[in-house]
Amino acid sequence: MSHAKGNRYQCAKCGHINYPNRTLCRKCRHSEFRPVALPKSGRLLTFTHLSTLPGDFDVPELTLGIVQLANGVRVTAQLDIPRPKLGMAVDGEVQVVRKDEYNKYHGFVFRAK
Amino acid sequence: MSSDIEKILRPVDNPAPQFPPKHMTLSGGESMVIRQADREEIPDILSFVEPLIHVERDFYDIVAARVYSELLGYYRYRMQDEYVLIAQIDGELAAVVNGRRLNPEVGMSLHTLSLRRGLRVGAHAFAAKMEYHFDHLRQKEVLIVAESPIGFRRWMIEYKLEKRFEVPHELGGVPSWSLTQAIFEKARKTLVVGRRPVPAALLAKAQAKILPPSDPPKPPLDLMAATRSQSDPTGTALLLQRRRLDDIAGSGPCASGSCACGTHGQIAAPAKKSGRSAKARR
Amino acid sequence: MREVYVVGIGITTFSRLEYPLVEIAGYPAMLALKDAGLSSVDHVYVANMGAARLNKQTGLASAVVDHLSLTPAGAETIENGPASGASAIKQAYMAIASGLHDTVLVTGAERMRAANNLETTDFVATLTHPLAEYIYGVTLPALAGMFTRLYMDKYGVTPRHLGMVAVKAHDNAMLNPFAHLHERITLDGILDCPEALTNNPMVADPLRFYDCCPVSDGGACLILASGDAAKKSGKPMIRLAGVGQATDTHAVHEREDPTQLLAVRGAAGQAMRMAGIKPGDVHVAELHDAFTILEIAESEEVGFFKKGEGHLALEKGETKIGGKIPINPSGGLKAKGHPVGATGVGQAHEIVTQLRGAAHKRQVKNAKVGLTLNFGGFGNNVVCLVFAKE
Repeated sequence: MSHAKGNRYQCAKCGHINYPNRTLCRKCRHSEFRPVALPKSGRLLTFTHLSTLPGDFDVPELTLGIVQLANGVRVTAQLDIPRPKLGMAVDGEVQVVRKDEYNKYHGFVFRAK
Repeated sequence: MSSDIEKILRPVDNPAPQFPPKHMTLSGGESMVIRQADREEIPDILSFVEPLIHVERDFYDIVAARVYSELLGYYRYRMQDEYVLIAQIDGELAAVVNGRRLNPEVGMSLHTLSLRRGLRVGAHAFAAKMEYHFDHLRQKEVLIVAESPIGFRRWMIEYKLEKRFEVPHELGGVPSWSLTQAIFEKARKTLVVGRRPVPAALLAKAQAKILPPSDPPKPPLDLMAATRSQSDPTGTALLLQRRRLDDIAGSGPCASGSCACGTHGQIAAPAKKSGRSAKARR
Repeated sequence: MREVYVVGIGITTFSRLEYPLVEIAGYPAMLALKDAGLSSVDHVYVANMGAARLNKQTGLASAVVDHLSLTPAGAETIENGPASGASAIKQAYMAIASGLHDTVLVTGAERMRAANNLETTDFVATLTHPLAEYIYGVTLPALAGMFTRLYMDKYGVTPRHLGMVAVKAHDNAMLNPFAHLHERITLDGILDCPEALTNNPMVADPLRFYDCCPVSDGGACLILASGDAAKKSGKPMIRLAGVGQATDTHAVHEREDPTQLLAVRGAAGQAMRMAGIKPGDVHVAELHDAFTILEIAESEEVGFFKKGEGHLALEKGETKIGGKIPINPSGGLKAKGHPVGATGVGQAHEIVTQLRGAAHKRQVKNAKVGLTLNFGGFGNNVVCLVFAKE
């Protein structure tokens, strides 16, 4: 459940945080990683309100964005922010972001700070 | 005696205000008029709906067949409290929508049939129908079902309809969805458009004559391919295929020339003239 | 390496095609064989992305080669997302240039409209990163929407510029009998009139309905041949002069500057270097405008305009037919249509048609060098081809 807690993969050699994870580090091609917790706050880089969704979603619209976290790592996430603004400060938590029959998927959801 | 029976069979419509005509600009810059169709205009509309019964794609066949029966029921006084709105571009029939009042407070949305694809023609016509129920008939909710995935996305998802599954809808008894006054008010800004009054010349053009659609939905060009294509869950392509083979024998639906599909006759040999017109077979 | 030429082309209408997928692949191949005057080829590549999921068919190449009665020629399916078409042409290039084969048929085919729109949306969304993007509901329009917002913020592109790309695409498609959308649109109808937000609703804001390509069925075919085989065909000598390909991070958020499409820049640079040309030498281009913003961004990354100035060139009409560098005379993905696996072959079909001088009303005058850019995923796998008339 490490993934569900928002942990990500840090290269054991160069320290680069690979998100998403890789077999070989993007920076140094090393193959060993250790889990690292990501900061919860960051800044909103860009966003969109998406109104054509795949069938799994039982809502008419999703707000999605890319957030740059305090340590510089970027994540794509759902936003629970009615009127997002570029550059705004946001706080995130890990929760269920998608359900597909009995499967649940955990991911980041950010709110205005 | 026969007239007495007709009196019994014929429902009496409750008084209802007319839908005030409106107009809007489409993506291509054309103006579209949406207005209520008179009962006497129904035969004209039927002649443009009938060819779509044979378009076994995008659920045109089932929707057109049902619209045909509902419009005929309206024309021949076999439906109560029904209304028909039509959308016209340059006089051409672009969409037909209809519904009825279940009771003074609840409306029953029946069908939305686009005779011109794209440009949100059907969506505009559907919105006008909802506007009629809430703003003019002063109803509290409208019960809706979708018969196609596109309808489901347009109505249930775009409008965010509520489930009213305990109520069977008049279309096949399937569970209903509800468009309430509150949902309508939320959708009003983005989905319900149109301007009034319609400029006199534009309205006069629409009222003068309902012209046939210039580019209506057509059956697949190669019916043989449709049967080969594994996309025929309803088997209607196969049925149509058999009907087309019949055509060669001379009893085709296009022999009367009333079919506006534009593709019949391209695949099979030209249908021979026979005494049976399309109307006679109904 | 040997030179490689295009000796035959064929295409279906891009629209809804109620034909089996093998026929959508086979029909343009039949036309191309006739065009080339050939009855057999050494090898077949079939470009396709969705057969297994949308049409429940695997091993498509084996089915197509038999359907065309071209057995025992070798056959493979090439899947590289929406860049499958250009990737398959690249494989054919390598096969001929290396001397392994003399004639290779590349047919791209897709039948997307067999599935309902919810299923198709999800199918295309599976191109995104499964853990870092897809689970959130991210789709290609969502990535394009986030990209557009950054682009507008950084370079001053406006919704009006996007609308101008759409209007141009629809106008060009009116001149292309194979195009999916044959409906003229106007800026008044999609942006200015009181009904505009309803006519042209938000899909992934700031991208609206008319900023997105349609979901199309369609097939297109190219037959490539060595110089000797091409001379025998008697067709105009259209050489595949440059091939380039580059990749970028799968997840868009990992790109240092998400407004830069480095894979486009890399692929186009390689292809033009190989062809010995500069961006200014290109007479006509088919760019991958799955979203209107992409035509603007790609026109900059390919090098036709400086970064951030593509929309200014668009304003001046430089990308129209008759302009300085006509882009997407076919109508592009935006209006010609986007049957994903076939798109790259369709782009090449248009460029070869233009270089042959056979594009009728949409002909770019004196076109001798043409470029196609086929964009897989959201710019994570891009293939660029340069064609030259000899």
